[in-house]
Amino acid sequence: MDKLIDKARLSDWITALADWEVFAPALEDGVWTFKAAGEAVSLGHTNVKQPPKDFAFPQREIYFSFEQVKGEPPRLTQKLPAEAKRVVFGVRPCDGRAVPRMDRVFNDPQFPDAYYQARRNGLAYVGLACNRPVAPTCFCKSVGGSPVSSEGMDVLLTDLGDRYFVQAVTKTGEALVAAADKLFVKASPADKKALEKTHADAEAQPQRAIADAAGAAKKLKANFDSPLWETLAQGCIGCGICTFLCPTCHCFDINDEVTGTAPMKGNRVRTWDNCQFPDFTMHTSGHNPRETLGSRLRQRVCHKFQYFHENYGMLQCTGCGRCVSECPVGIDIVNVVNKVTENVA
Amino acid sequence: MIKIQDIRDAARDMLAKGEVRAVIGWQRGSRGMAAEPVVINAPEQADGLVWDPTCYHNLSLYLVNDKKAQAHAKQKPTLPIAIIAKGCDARSCVVLMQENYFRRDDIYIIGVSCEGTGVIDERKLAVALGGVKPTSAAFDGDDYVVTLPDGSEKRLPAREVMADRCLECREPFPKENNIALGEDKTGRALEAPFAALARFEQQSEAERWNYWQRQFDRCIRCFACRSVCPMCFCDECVVDSIEMKVAPTTSAEEKASRVRWIERSNTLADNFGYHMTRAMHLAGRCIDCGECERVCPVNIPLRLLNNKMEREAREQFGYEPGASIGGPSLVSSFRDDDPGTWIR
Repeated sequence: MDKLIDKARLSDWITALADWEVFAPALEDGVWTFKAAGEAVSLGHTNVKQPPKDFAFPQREIYFSFEQVKGEPPRLTQKLPAEAKRVVFGVRPCDGRAVPRMDRVFNDPQFPDAYYQARRNGLAYVGLACNRPVAPTCFCKSVGGSPVSSEGMDVLLTDLGDRYFVQAVTKTGEALVAAADKLFVKASPADKKALEKTHADAEAQPQRAIADAAGAAKKLKANFDSPLWETLAQGCIGCGICTFLCPTCHCFDINDEVTGTAPMKGNRVRTWDNCQFPDFTMHTSGHNPRETLGSRLRQRVCHKFQYFHENYGMLQCTGCGRCVSECPVGIDIVNVVNKVTENVA
Repeated sequence: MIKIQDIRDAARDMLAKGEVRAVIGWQRGSRGMAAEPVVINAPEQADGLVWDPTCYHNLSLYLVNDKKAQAHAKQKPTLPIAIIAKGCDARSCVVLMQENYFRRDDIYIIGVSCEGTGVIDERKLAVALGGVKPTSAAFDGDDYVVTLPDGSEKRLPAREVMADRCLECREPFPKENNIALGEDKTGRALEAPFAALARFEQQSEAERWNYWQRQFDRCIRCFACRSVCPMCFCDECVVDSIEMKVAPTTSAEEKASRVRWIERSNTLADNFGYHMTRAMHLAGRCIDCGECERVCPVNIPLRLLNNKMEREAREQFGYEPGASIGGPSLVSSFRDDDPGTWIR
């Protein structure tokens, strides 16, 4: 059901969610980050620097601990995270659209990931529509999204001046609203009109554009060997900003971290990996199939616009623009896709 | 003031005459105000070069990358490569040559003076403009002139939105050069050297400890600070999860028993380990181009660490990195007249 809440009552809503651990954007040292919500929450952020990806897929996940006393078989203890009711407020539509994409990878019916599922179960997202693009680097409309999309959200809020229009999208979303029922008023037809106008205005805001995102998969495939990849990666420094700040990048690495030697013990740990790092997919033989910066840029872009599309029928990029705005040297995925796909039939 | 045409002419001439095989410079980016690094190798490409307050990148990094690429391809270039270098960039070229990373003849320095107005700090600019992102920026005397998305222009005193490193810069003129453009305004530091560090050190030890814990706690270990640094030229970095120099003859035992000083996990302890290692490796080598701090996506004030080491080098050994190619480097030299008393 569609409802409204006064902005001044937002903190009361959060307080009423006593069964939930609540997170909201906070500005610390100049960086917008999702933090445990304090008493005064206002959704005054543009977008958070890091997407809410790590709530379900943290940068570091311990699979199990191991211990081996000499002469005895190794003892392994699985470290499955406890399920908890957590809700993240202020998620932007681009980051919301990343949720079903991450779910598709880690809740794959054939290869379900128990660690992801344990964190994802009980995790809810309260989104905030973008009445205007939060940055000049936004391009959600180019990749099939919308600044007012509720995809991946449990609740979508839309800023109507002094109030939020509240749309519960899922059963969990309805429960979040029901938990503080008294704070909400029913939306009148006039409110709905105001919402429609706000959403239409938001959709009409100009954004940067990818010329043919829908056809990009085929065109990128045709241009796999293009010399453009190396040219476009010329300035690349091979850091991990673009993928570590990406709401949908999900490559990971697994290492054994040894913490003691007598007896030998430690943890098997999963950490985010990064296709821009020089050792990404390097073989134990020393051979590296993606040795150059160009081949690694191609991997990043084609994963989002070609391989993911081939595997799951959707683009992996949601147009948040972080990889563009945060790149230290101006590598620009919009420009890269446009350049590599132009003049390809 | 430097005319962009002079930079373009210099680059075009050198390429046309076949004096250099490429020129490393800046071009306009595709995403808005910021310039981006570019390597050009044909005279006609010189028209795409730009010079404005967003040319903050220290391009000597690309000299290092070029050298690595040449070594990898087992090529010996016959022509030098040219680089457009600000004062700080030229000093980092000096350090690299001091450390024999390349020879003076290998490179051709087109020096550009910052003339005391330095480069923009985009975070300060965002605050000054209330989050509005300009589409371009230009030098004009002691001011920057930025163009806003609605086409209007706004004039800002450079000093107000200039990068901290430029406020504290002692040498905005690239002394080491083959040709130099712009006025020499050396000695025009707007703030005292190490001013930010001095302010920071007024805090108690406990405050500083808490401060760094908070900073390192949010590090995402993207390694942009390492990757952007021209001094971080090691073929193998201590933080990379596997060794690069694995050969078919490397045994499984050797691979398994490699020492991992720092895990890839972004735990506070490993983050501390990484940042301390990085800072220590830059002692007596960092010329304060400030790129590590600029590129950090989570605003960790890395210059404080580098400046601390730089000041130690100065106070203990009277050492100034990047001063002369033939001079001794800090960690490979010994002098009887070192000002520090502890060594005697």
